[in-house]
Amino acid sequence: MKSLDKRLDKILEKKSKASLWILTLGKFEVHRSGEPIPAKEWGRDKTLQLFQYLVTARKRNGLHKEQIITRIWEDAGQKDGDRDFKVALHGMVKTLEPNRKSRTDAKYITRQGLTYQLAMEEIWLDVEVLDELVTLANEALHDENKIAKKAYKAALEIYNGIYLPNRIYNDWTSAERERIQMLAITAHTTLAELLLEKKPMESIRLAQEALQTDPTWEDAYRIQMQGYLNSGNRPQALKTYKKCKTILDKEFGIEPLPETKALLQRIENL
Amino acid sequence: MAKKQNQTSSFVLRFTQKIFKDDDGESNVQWRGKITHVQDDEALNFSEMKDAMTFMQSKLSDLTLSSIDGKSEEEKEGILSKSFDIWKKMATQYPKFVMQAIKDPKTGVTQIQEQISQVGDEISQKMELDSYKPASKSDLKSMMEMMEQMNKQITALGKKVDKLSKSNKSK
Repeated sequence: MKSLDKRLDKILEKKSKASLWILTLGKFEVHRSGEPIPAKEWGRDKTLQLFQYLVTARKRNGLHKEQIITRIWEDAGQKDGDRDFKVALHGMVKTLEPNRKSRTDAKYITRQGLTYQLAMEEIWLDVEVLDELVTLANEALHDENKIAKKAYKAALEIYNGIYLPNRIYNDWTSAERERIQMLAITAHTTLAELLLEKKPMESIRLAQEALQTDPTWEDAYRIQMQGYLNSGNRPQALKTYKKCKTILDKEFGIEPLPETKALLQRIENL
Repeated sequence: MAKKQNQTSSFVLRFTQKIFKDDDGESNVQWRGKITHVQDDEALNFSEMKDAMTFMQSKLSDLTLSSIDGKSEEEKEGILSKSFDIWKKMATQYPKFVMQAIKDPKTGVTQIQEQISQVGDEISQKMELDSYKPASKSDLKSMMEMMEQMNKQITALGKKVDKLSKSNKSK
């Protein structure tokens, strides 16, 4: 097995080697050879939907045309669905490779019979890289914290907001959005914990980012309390506990965990 | 005909597990949940499943009401009356069963089980009779809260239906 730092370098190098970059976090943007593709080049929204669905379902090995049509265009009958798919597929391949010679294989879409999938080896996709970085950071945690910190930081630089924000009402994007949000919260809070001793203010900021994603995340309040304590701001640590208590009561009707109360006790006893 | 997408309500459920030791040193587990209705991105945090169920019921009743817009009067009446049957059963019989269950837990629970299985699959989970014990003060409080919540929902639903009927009459 390659050492963790070499694996990390390899993940970080991917972007410079890929000719197509797909950004899905906080906004949707595709870069062709480093240049963003203008939105109007996608033409119809169905072309964009098809591409975004292939991105979302990239982990499934080959999606059948019928499956894709049923999932994203539920209303379409067979005839309309087939026509829409054909038009959208043509539009998508043309947008991704405007200079492709006719009768040559598409570079970014692999087709086998009636199944389609993205050729990920040619693509840099933000969610995929974020996933790899957090996985590596979790592996490195405890034994190689320096690498873990570097990987979490790199992952959070990629995280610019929720997954495909323009598709929040489409249920085929929900599972991926939820999965990525949880990865981001984990990365924020774990990195914040790692930095508590030496960089408490940075820990407080990271915990705040986690709270922006989920204002009820109790671990993040505890990190902030400890961060304020470490930086000598006892009143703010006490205020943070109050905030935590109020929100848990309002949203769940519950008290903070004994661990959080114990931390409060330690702060009060100072 | 309503679009297929308008006939769908999707929910994302998130559960976060917290394991901790309480003041007596006993290990404890707590579940914190969040439910999001995908089609309008509205979300609710909950610590008891009944709150998530209420949230889902409210979204599903909205869906029924929006779906019958444009249907014939006869069809509307049919759908509404079927929908109301379920609500009526819940509204009129549930509080009675609850009161009975407080007085006589075992018989009450048996009756509630029968009623639950009639109301539908979605709430047909069985309760453990053997572990049933007389209701405590906090049980009573939470039951009263649940009843109040149901009452509010039924009032809101009634208002929506009245509004719908008025707008149909004026057409």
